[in-house]
Amino acid sequence: MINEKDLTEIVERVIEELEKEESREAVDQAVKREAKSNNDEIVDITDVDLKKQFLVDNPENREAFLKLKESTSARLGVGRAGPRYKTETLLRFRADHAAAMDAVFTDVSDQLIDDMNLFKVKTLCRDKDEYLKRPDLGKKFSDETLAEISNKCEKNPQVQIYAADGLSSTAVEANLKDIFPAIKQGLEGYNIKIGTPFFVQYGRVASMEPIAKCLNAKVCCVLIGERPGLATAESLSCYMAYDAEIGMPESKRNVISNIHADGTPAVEAGAHIADVIKAMLEQKTSGLDLDI
Amino acid sequence: METIISAGIDIGTSTTQIVFSNITLENIASDYTVPQINIIDKEIIYKSDIYITPLLSEDEIDSVGLRGIIEKEYSKADISKSEVSTGAVIITGETARKKNAELISKEMSDLAGDFVVASAGPDLEAIIAAKGAGVDQLSKKENALVINFDIGGGTTNIAVFDSGEIIDTACFDLGGRLIKIDDNKKIHHVSEKLKKLAESLNVELEQGREIAVHELEVLADKMADILTEILFAEVKSDDYIYLITNHDLKKKYNPDYISFSGGVADYIGNQSHQDNYDKYNDLGIILGEKITESPLYKENNIFNAEETIRATVVGAGSHTTNISGSTITYTSDILPLKNIPAVKIDENEINSEAEFKTAVKQKMNWYNLEDGHQAAALALKGKKNYSFAEITSLAEMIIEAEEEIVESDFPLIVILEHDAAKVLGQTLNRILDHKKSIVSLDGIKINDGDYIDIGKPLAGGKVLPVIIKTLIFDN
Repeated sequence: MINEKDLTEIVERVIEELEKEESREAVDQAVKREAKSNNDEIVDITDVDLKKQFLVDNPENREAFLKLKESTSARLGVGRAGPRYKTETLLRFRADHAAAMDAVFTDVSDQLIDDMNLFKVKTLCRDKDEYLKRPDLGKKFSDETLAEISNKCEKNPQVQIYAADGLSSTAVEANLKDIFPAIKQGLEGYNIKIGTPFFVQYGRVASMEPIAKCLNAKVCCVLIGERPGLATAESLSCYMAYDAEIGMPESKRNVISNIHADGTPAVEAGAHIADVIKAMLEQKTSGLDLDI
Repeated sequence: METIISAGIDIGTSTTQIVFSNITLENIASDYTVPQINIIDKEIIYKSDIYITPLLSEDEIDSVGLRGIIEKEYSKADISKSEVSTGAVIITGETARKKNAELISKEMSDLAGDFVVASAGPDLEAIIAAKGAGVDQLSKKENALVINFDIGGGTTNIAVFDSGEIIDTACFDLGGRLIKIDDNKKIHHVSEKLKKLAESLNVELEQGREIAVHELEVLADKMADILTEILFAEVKSDDYIYLITNHDLKKKYNPDYISFSGGVADYIGNQSHQDNYDKYNDLGIILGEKITESPLYKENNIFNAEETIRATVVGAGSHTTNISGSTITYTSDILPLKNIPAVKIDENEINSEAEFKTAVKQKMNWYNLEDGHQAAALALKGKKNYSFAEITSLAEMIIEAEEEIVESDFPLIVILEHDAAKVLGQTLNRILDHKKSIVSLDGIKINDGDYIDIGKPLAGGKVLPVIIKTLIFDN
């Protein structure tokens, strides 16, 4: 039998060991942190995949929660510091908000436009501020611009495809290089002729109407940056219409939206868009009347 | 929304059953995104009577008798063969080892509908029964490890699900009908393995001898012991190893729940039943009672299976059909394709183009039979967000690696897990100048060595039904 004194000693020794253990861990972590900040740049917090991040302390069932998180981009399982967000959550929220702002206010680079052999035109908007305040100007072009489009593009194409910055230049940068060749390949596979592609700065969806008229395109298709949100700033949409008219109702247009890395992949969306355009040409209609 | 009829036919050691299910497909995506057709509902619309499987002799199935049962049930259900879009005929348990099993299953699948697949094999049976019992859903919902024991007449099929995914299967030659007695308690038939097992238990199993209840209890007790070993024994006994049908579980599991299906399950944990032990002239009822007394039952959380004796047939009818992704590419006049073996390549373990080609060629060669080629499907995990350049080089790599298939009359079949099949298919078509029949599918998880059937298009051509068979006729 162990007497009480021995027992106390043993317990004390164990506690001592445990304390050592804990402090050793803490030192290890501090050393690692220090090493990291010395060697590397500051870690980009937006690199963390939110769906895999789980900040609740002492969770009942971490795996089950992470499984739920797989199905949503909502910021679940962020834990809390008292009644507030943890620092990491707050910083990430602000970083994502900043990315959304940047997506709106930056321009699509000339590099991308050159790489893809596009030429660039502008709507009637003079700058981004005017673009945001005057939606009506984002769907109109000057006569000179229309003449330029008319001069540089093939007339009467079966399909006219062009890109526009819309509300996210980031989305165009992230997806255009992958989606455009996929649409082109799909359409060529169906023996459908595509017109000359170009890029519209300060463009809204309805900019397709004067363009379709100007070039006499059967189907007009614009790849345009979506209003960015906190989940992604890279989401692209593809709006399409058959025989687009100026002032046409929205119900005559089709859209494939949510094209980004965590949504529909750009290449797969492009392959599908080719099918939608094919259906428009076959059925000679678009929007709600289109059966797809 | 589109509803199709699926048939399930289970030809087991003791019983034969048929069910019909309505499977409802719907595009669950909004009009503003690419389509996403899902199976949104499965509903059993007809359950047949439970028939004793007709046999000509102990090792031959009576095909005329079976045909009669199927025709009668189709007419009772008022469903014609042409209305059935999908489903499975599965020959299970000991019946799968009868000498005419393979032939019968093909015959019955023709009788049941154009795209009703024929299949057998203990691994697939275990998975189908567990799904019919609702184990996959429980495991998914509770993020739990669940083991189903489907205890039939001739075999016990075990399936292990973790978080909704099948992770292991095993099969044992244990069941309620390994011994049959007649109305005078005289032994009518005993399986070879049970005979051998009985020797060490000092129970004589000579045909024609009258057998006492306590002797049946000794046998059932032994069987329950062996089933208990599956979860509790550190070292397996010789008898245990002797009774393995094809393979054991890969390791010892610690399940959150276990469940029982199959005919014997009706007598497990069911103390209130009023049936005499000899109601079915076999060991089933006593075996069920002995399992109830065993640690296997007592020391585990028990999930009450949604189906017991009908688990396999319900699984075959409702849970065998998968739906491909909704953006895919295929040459429609070559469908349906049946019994296509899958060659799975893990691209994450491949470092170079040359390595990829070698790996594909090597595995494809397994299916090059003496009389030429067999159409094998190339299965890849794929990745979430390919660039167009990556898709192009993947297509080029596939074409080079599969040059023999490209030059043959067989279609080029590629199956991906991640959503990229439509663009990959269009790229393959472009490079091959639209001259080759291809099927490029995604949204389907398949393992190396699985067989698949690919049916005719559904939902206006957006999706293809796919049935994955874990093994056909494990010889």
